[in-house]
Amino acid sequence: MTEYLTILTFCLAGTLSGAIISLIPSLHIYNTAGIALILWTHIEGVIPYTAVAPFFLSLVVAYAFLNTIPMTLIGAPDESASVTILPGIKYLTLGRGFEATLAGGIGSLIGILFLSVAMPLIYVAMPFIHKILAPHMHAILMAVIVYMLMSEWPKGEGLGRTTWERFRQAWRNVFAGLVTFGLAGILGLIVTSRTLVSPDAGFQNIMPVFIGLFAIPGAIEKLLSRETIPPQHISSSVELTRGDIGWSTLQGVIAGGMAAYLPAVTAGIGGILAGHAVARRGDRLFIVSGGIAKVLYYVGAFLLLYCVTPLTPMGIGRGGLSIILKPVLQPLPRELPMMIGAILLSGCISFLLLIPSTRLTIRLLSRVHYHVLYWATLPLLVVLVVFITGWAGLALMLIASCIGMIPVFFHSRRSNCMAVLLVPIALNMAGYGDTILRLLGLD
Amino acid sequence: MKGLTHFISAIATASFFPQVVRMSATPGAQIDGAQSSFILALAGLYGIMPDTLDFKFGRFFETAEIDVYPDPRNPDAQAIADTLGSAMDRAIIENREIRIQFHTVQLSADHWRQYQIAFDAERQEVAVVIGPVVTTSQVAFAGTEPDNRVGIYRLKHARLKPGGARSTTVDIMSGPMYGFRPGQDHVLVDFLPWHRTWSHSYVVGAALALPLWPLALWMNWPSAWLYPLIAFLGFSTHVTEDLTGHMGGSLFWPFFRERTRGLCWFHAANPDSNFVTDYIAVTLILFNLDRFVTKLIPLSAPVFFLLFLIGPLLLYFLPRLVSTKPAPKARRQDSVQGVIEAHRRQAAQEELLDESESIVG
Repeated sequence: MTEYLTILTFCLAGTLSGAIISLIPSLHIYNTAGIALILWTHIEGVIPYTAVAPFFLSLVVAYAFLNTIPMTLIGAPDESASVTILPGIKYLTLGRGFEATLAGGIGSLIGILFLSVAMPLIYVAMPFIHKILAPHMHAILMAVIVYMLMSEWPKGEGLGRTTWERFRQAWRNVFAGLVTFGLAGILGLIVTSRTLVSPDAGFQNIMPVFIGLFAIPGAIEKLLSRETIPPQHISSSVELTRGDIGWSTLQGVIAGGMAAYLPAVTAGIGGILAGHAVARRGDRLFIVSGGIAKVLYYVGAFLLLYCVTPLTPMGIGRGGLSIILKPVLQPLPRELPMMIGAILLSGCISFLLLIPSTRLTIRLLSRVHYHVLYWATLPLLVVLVVFITGWAGLALMLIASCIGMIPVFFHSRRSNCMAVLLVPIALNMAGYGDTILRLLGLD
Repeated sequence: MKGLTHFISAIATASFFPQVVRMSATPGAQIDGAQSSFILALAGLYGIMPDTLDFKFGRFFETAEIDVYPDPRNPDAQAIADTLGSAMDRAIIENREIRIQFHTVQLSADHWRQYQIAFDAERQEVAVVIGPVVTTSQVAFAGTEPDNRVGIYRLKHARLKPGGARSTTVDIMSGPMYGFRPGQDHVLVDFLPWHRTWSHSYVVGAALALPLWPLALWMNWPSAWLYPLIAFLGFSTHVTEDLTGHMGGSLFWPFFRERTRGLCWFHAANPDSNFVTDYIAVTLILFNLDRFVTKLIPLSAPVFFLLFLIGPLLLYFLPRLVSTKPAPKARRQDSVQGVIEAHRRQAAQEELLDESESIVG
């Protein structure tokens, strides 16, 4: 009984901590989870072993829900950038940010329900799928890379008097995407082949690169933006049809499923692929399916660790949380129902927290300019990087930031930055990593 | 069909070759013939290549004689219809091909003015309907249509063949090009005359795949002959799948340059045909990977396909089978025709009113 109470307490603690962390723009939950784990290993006994997984799982569940708030309400770009932004931000510019945030939250709730109901089926089917796909994983990742590169089409009409002018104008974003992918891929090969940061922070060595590729350019973009957030309407309902929910579930489950299982494929890349597969349009569909995909990507990936079967005796380790917790965790299949209970509890609380938190953030943003939040976040990120990975990490972050700025300025896909993991993982899985490093003079 | 559908179908086609599946496994998996080959991704690359050739390269080399830039502040439907109709007439009078490029009307970073181009073979007319403002996701803002939004041009020299021209909607990113050519007793209308021509030819596919053979030999890749074969099959899968649409392709360019008509089963962007094809392809890939390498699925082929292909597809279509609502696409077509019909009725009433006023004085 005491054990259950302990787990319940840490579930609540994880959810509340995750909710607070999620509201800080550009701060990723895995960075915080990494710090929390370092603290846990140094201050033993703070969290009992049985509560470790529920605590971190609740942390991630809350993040999957409440991260929608800064994503929707603080990412306010100017006119020139808004073609490439998420539909949630379009809602924000129409004064419907509250509705968009709640729609994302409803998506996350659907994701939690899907995981709870489908987990027995996933438990039976995934070991087979994993065993069938594992020998070909490098080929699957290469197929993802090829499709991502080939499916970035020229934006705009290619206006101009000559063929070359039209070609050059239309190809700006495609070329920028290829350059981003190439540079991020080389950076990934360097980072994964050489330990540039202190061995003590080994499991966080990719952290400065991620902050540099995604968080810093995002923050700089917002700081350069002169757009103001219009007054937001607090609606009493969310406009969603049964069709929206049905198609979003299909799209979100495909996107999240791919992101949860395929290494280095994020919910964003999964979203691109699933969006093309389901081939339906609409901002609401995108927002709700994004909420579902996030839950499957963050939470579902971790639950795969509990698929301990004769085919997969070590479970199927996927996702950032699995990497962080694997050294200290011995997952057992009998713990799976408890984990589902934890995500249901944490998911419901997170959804309830989402409503007042969104209201509160909207009220805060009506008084404080969102630039202030980003000016506060940037130093925090720099301190975090230096604290965990030292000055070498800071240098890495700056290099990654330069690469991450390319898609911001040329309106190409930011997911090209994921080449930092996709390229080295695909090449190393195929056994070509060392050859490529030799060719690049990095051996 | 869409890019992902072509891409994944090409991989599914390649997965029917046991040697290809074994080649693509990692040697660490203790599989005979495992080479860590990326040949499955090569199939996908060639599967998406025909559209890449068109949309990333070919279109920039094609120019139109007439460019239509509707006024963003006050789009004139009648002027656009006149330009379109007179281009068709000119093709007959001057006995040559006339190409016309319709441009999109971008109002802001995320807002576009939609307009529709319709061909009516029964009345020998072309019509342009100015639509609402839409977002880049093609979500319309209701009530943003202008008052005077229909333009109709009655063809004077050109004769439209029933079903010979396809109506279209212009809204985001880039607009369509039409080519008008004189036919035997009517005007031939080519939608996107630069698309699905040389790039959608089995001959071009073979020509692009063949160089892979010497490359594979030079790189000392085992089974070098498979690389061009798989690449050609990937390319051919795309060309063949596109035949299910309306546009078809120039299947044997440069020997036969005419673009053949498709089977008109589905529109290229039809969500159902794309999703169903994607799903079938994924199921086939999984089945083939297992039967040629791991042999883990404890089910016979019929049971496997019943459970994992037929069953889920029935579930996919079930809500539609139960529902009585018309498909959204049909509703949109109806609305365009409805607007044109309403415009005709209003014009007829005004004509009657004018006549009665002139009689009564």
